[in-house]
Amino acid sequence: MSEELTMPRLSDTMEQGTIGRWLKREGESFHEGDVIAEIETDKATMDFQAYEDGTMLRILVGDGESAALGAPIAIIGAEGEEVPADAPAAASANGGGRDNGAAEPAPAAEPEAKEAKEEAPVATATEEAPSDGGGLRASPIARRMADAGGLDLRTLAGKGTGPDGRIVKADVERALAGGVKPTPAAPAAPQAAPPPPGEGDEVRELTPMLKAVARRMAESKASVPHFYVTSEIDMTRALELRAELNDALADSGEKVSVNDLIVRACAQALVQHPQAHRSYVDGHHVYHSHVHVGIAVALDDGLIVPVLRDADAKGVRRLAAETRDLVTRARDGKLRQSEIEGGTFTVSNMGMFDVAAFSAIINPPESTILAVSSTVERAVVRDGAVVPRKIMSVTLSCDHRACSGADGARLLQTVKRHLEAPTLLLA
Amino acid sequence: MADVTYREALRLALDEELGRDQDVFLMGEEIGRFEGSYKVTAGLWQKYGATRVRETPISEEGFVGAGIGAAMMGLRPVIEIMTINFILVAMDQVINHAAKIRYMFGGKVGVPLVIRAPGGAGAQLTAQHSQSLEAWFAGCPGLKVVAPATPADAYGMLKTAIRDDDPVLFCENLVLYNLTGALPEDGDGLVPLGRAAIAREGTDLTLVAHSYTVQRALRVADRLSQDGISVEVVDLRSLRPLDVDTVAASVRKTNRVLVAEEGWSTYGVGAELAARLQRVCFDDLDAPVERVGQAEVPMPYAKPLELAALPLESKIEAAARSLLAESGL
Repeated sequence: MSEELTMPRLSDTMEQGTIGRWLKREGESFHEGDVIAEIETDKATMDFQAYEDGTMLRILVGDGESAALGAPIAIIGAEGEEVPADAPAAASANGGGRDNGAAEPAPAAEPEAKEAKEEAPVATATEEAPSDGGGLRASPIARRMADAGGLDLRTLAGKGTGPDGRIVKADVERALAGGVKPTPAAPAAPQAAPPPPGEGDEVRELTPMLKAVARRMAESKASVPHFYVTSEIDMTRALELRAELNDALADSGEKVSVNDLIVRACAQALVQHPQAHRSYVDGHHVYHSHVHVGIAVALDDGLIVPVLRDADAKGVRRLAAETRDLVTRARDGKLRQSEIEGGTFTVSNMGMFDVAAFSAIINPPESTILAVSSTVERAVVRDGAVVPRKIMSVTLSCDHRACSGADGARLLQTVKRHLEAPTLLLA
Repeated sequence: MADVTYREALRLALDEELGRDQDVFLMGEEIGRFEGSYKVTAGLWQKYGATRVRETPISEEGFVGAGIGAAMMGLRPVIEIMTINFILVAMDQVINHAAKIRYMFGGKVGVPLVIRAPGGAGAQLTAQHSQSLEAWFAGCPGLKVVAPATPADAYGMLKTAIRDDDPVLFCENLVLYNLTGALPEDGDGLVPLGRAAIAREGTDLTLVAHSYTVQRALRVADRLSQDGISVEVVDLRSLRPLDVDTVAASVRKTNRVLVAEEGWSTYGVGAELAARLQRVCFDDLDAPVERVGQAEVPMPYAKPLELAALPLESKIEAAARSLLAESGL
């Protein structure tokens, strides 16, 4: 019996996935647990494992193409089995490029698609799945209340707050209280239509990751009251310490970076300042019991924040080794979902780009993020004399609902103290 | 009337019923001169004499059988089994005789017998002496099984059980004996069998329990109320007959239900309620029925392991919070 494989939910926030590449070709067989495809979500590239033995009969969504959550991406079955006549055809056969059959239903009106529709109704298949409500997860009371309130539960599809996106009573109550169907009413400020592309401009779909970055950053800037605290840190002694460490580690091949020292200082400081290490969530303060430091990693066209777990419990060498590993795998798109979740603080370091100063957008639900600029040699006054020192500017962005200006300033003071008296980093 | 302990409430009920009805008599191990292992029969042997407060050898099968015979002949025996763990040697008498006689004799003869037995755990009495077996008996037609959680219910339900014309297993809990509470000021204080009670009103979650677990549930409700979560606690009081209507009415209000019990969850009270509620409250549920019970192991002796196995408040609270989280609360 052949069956459809559908786009799995591999992260909490993904709405569609892109096939990085298929590892099993049509006709190839596989065993339960074999990785049959790599799928790019909004956050990472993840392995898609077979949940039973089988044979790849037909690939519907090719390498580099996207599909909505739950949309068919391949047909599998027993070896030598015929694909049933009513099975969907490959998406590319329908003239689709990237994104065919994804978030929006494929346009059915294309002339050559019409012909294909007779025998291989791709568009129908993707349209019907949500419309019959069969795949909609809702608690019984939510269904009953929606019925009674005249609310079409399908308008809440994908917005449920229960387990696996189940629509629960509270979701229906909110929707009914809002008095609007979640198809958003006109926003207060009329949204400007996007300007038409100019002559020769190229319009490209965002990758899932860039879409997620765009959405999350816009949400953060729009809903989190940011304030900023800037400080200058004398890195002369920290750089000496780093040179000394790296000399001593030369034989082992290990290397400690300035960023590792900064992460270490931040982790130590966060433990000392619980008020700067808590999140504002729904009218509550959540005090974090673990220090999980995210490090922003720039990709060719994208951004990802792998997380160093329990950074306060790790020495500089261990942080360096773990960071190197995470950054390497981040660039290869090989991070696991668990490695990019759960951060309680982020360091965004643009020191390598000769940056004088910048401020970063908070990565919710975290409440603070440290923007690190370049270290430059400057003339400064020490004990009445002008001396050359290596100065680094840092700016801490804070969520004012979670911490006060003084909380942020105290955190930054401790970071500064540890970097300026860097033996503290080894303590 | 001043508050009394659960133990005293039971003693008072026995005393009053012995005084009220000459057919009532007590039977059990060390319940006379020694006043019972948990002192529930204190003073009764002196007051009513050895004929009506009869001491027995260690012979549960024998004296439960004798009680059944006496009941069939018209007396109203109240048998104390030292702990519910020891009822197992009298299982044939309880299940095959007490529970079956009315049926086997075509309704011509009944067994107005009460068996009192404390269960529960927490005193490092380990695997063989820490069990809560009431759910096993509650599965048997022909028996009534009750497990009150307060002195007033212990008093009123024991009196009702003694006056009932069918066999009643009256489950107590070692930890409850010292619990204090008020007895009703007026009236006869009788509490009907087969009716649950709302021990605390609430709107967000129904927490169902019986016996000592009700007290745990009330403390969990207190704690959750500090976070603005309103928990309704339903005290089942009787396990057979089971008052599903009262629980269902509560679930229709809160849309979420968690059942906690001191015995094992598997095939337990929570299992039974989950089955009944999914039928009568299917369209009222906002989350699956959840249950908490003892860990599925023989009760360990070591204190840390015993605590880990017990359905403590922390576990009930965690289960409640996780259930509420499923509803976005």
